[in-house]
Amino acid sequence: MFAALWHSSLPRVVPLGMILLAIQKTLFVNLQPFGVIVQVVLAFAASAGVVGGPERGAIAGFVLGLIFDLSSGSPLGSTSIAMGMAGYLAGWLDVIRIDTTWWLAAIFVGGASAVGEFLVPTIRRFVGEENAFTPDLATVVPVVAVSASILSLVLVPLARWALQIEPPVWKAPRE
Amino acid sequence: MLILLLTSIMLITIDLRGNALLDGARSGFDYAFRPFEIAAEVVTKPVERVWSGVTEVDDLKRENEILREQLDQQRADQIANQNALAENQELRALLNLDSLADLDKVPCSSIGVSGSNDLQVVEVDCGTTDGVRTGMPVINQAGLVGKITRAYPETSVVMLVTDLSYHVEVKVVSEEAAEEEEPPPSTSPTGFPLDSLPDIADDLSSTTTTTTTTTPPFFVSSTTTSTTSPITTTTPALPGVVPGSGVVPGDITGTPTSSTSSTSTTTTTTLKPVTRETGVLDGYGEGSLPRVRLIDSSLQFGEAKVGDQVLTTGGRTSQAPPNIPVGVVANIIEVPGVAGNQLEVQPSADIGRLNFLMVLLYQPSTELGGG
Repeated sequence: MFAALWHSSLPRVVPLGMILLAIQKTLFVNLQPFGVIVQVVLAFAASAGVVGGPERGAIAGFVLGLIFDLSSGSPLGSTSIAMGMAGYLAGWLDVIRIDTTWWLAAIFVGGASAVGEFLVPTIRRFVGEENAFTPDLATVVPVVAVSASILSLVLVPLARWALQIEPPVWKAPRE
Repeated sequence: MLILLLTSIMLITIDLRGNALLDGARSGFDYAFRPFEIAAEVVTKPVERVWSGVTEVDDLKRENEILREQLDQQRADQIANQNALAENQELRALLNLDSLADLDKVPCSSIGVSGSNDLQVVEVDCGTTDGVRTGMPVINQAGLVGKITRAYPETSVVMLVTDLSYHVEVKVVSEEAAEEEEPPPSTSPTGFPLDSLPDIADDLSSTTTTTTTTTPPFFVSSTTTSTTSPITTTTPALPGVVPGSGVVPGDITGTPTSSTSSTSTTTTTTLKPVTRETGVLDGYGEGSLPRVRLIDSSLQFGEAKVGDQVLTTGGRTSQAPPNIPVGVVANIIEVPGVAGNQLEVQPSADIGRLNFLMVLLYQPSTELGGG
């Protein structure tokens, strides 16, 4: 599974994920709507799910989560679960609808990002952190969800390029 | 998905137990990621400036006015503080006490912050080649900032005091002792009011009469004690002042001196008593102030008050050397039960605007062996 992915999309997903992480750690650390850091990488993982389906979304999320953990010093694998789950959940859009619309993709990316963001403190709780759930989570999750929905307009085409997935084209049957 | 989940759990387990291979991977990734971060910083700088220009001008003007007022106030304080600092260092040298000035420091600059809403960490531009190791405390001019959680050759990751995983032992120093100075009270050598002396005297096998002359706050006071006791007595014998109880008078300016009595009159010089209580400071995440727990009200300490100073305790198992300013008590949260109240602490250091930092080359015993 991983070998096949290496030959297809990993060489694009990894550098793109690093660029998006760099943007998240520079631009969005200073530009915080409602005091919340916009989670660009998480939104990208969800966007990968929207265009690639649950399995590809989960793998892309897993890889992006590893990149995030390597960069931030959090336990390796903790963010992978959150982002992998976001990619997996968003991928169900690809299952239930072949030709998706931009607004439906935005809703799924936002919803999956919200779940992913909520999973981060949940995982921290599981690894032994006592006060993982803070009151500002009530602000963080909606802001991350809305910002991910807006970013999906850009990230979904990027994810399509990274995963090398052509948009479906409807052709009229030959007579 | 299940395979990925299990892989993640396995990675978390291995990483939490400490693994040289994963540390190496992190270090390598740090090198690989640095150019991306620098490029993103350059590219996004104009956007950040525009955003700051639009959103922060009014706040900055207001803050500038407040800071100017504070600067005027602090100029006066600075002179007094420098004098106090010099005296403190002289006293510490006399008593052979460790001081922060004895520790080597590595200056660092903040070069990045976490992109997460949950992690409170910053990256600094000094690493193991500078002598930085995991667990070392990080300070700035204002006080404690956090500790090193990852040290790479050129860079390190600093966990801030506001992070949920941050814990450090602290003491809360009551300012009540300073307020008691006006008017100068009549106190016993240990700081007990004379009113309480009859009770205390019951516990002692001697009759004590004390007159005290008190000098300005936090400085040395001289006490003259006359006693009829035929034996030698020492001040720690007084109730409530048990060595190691966490209530140690005179902690800021030094240790209390014991008073030795002879059969006639003995003159004792003791330090100004400053009460304190110890607890554990826990980070509560972004947007929330760190809290001190395990604080217990005691006769000597009384109730903690807003504005009380919070400093590190030091000690063998502490994460930081003693007497680093952490902040001031901002709120008191009453907690029912026996655990005692919790104190919300406003950190002295402006955690949101860290620029130049100092890593104290002090490795806690609990972190020895870390990279």
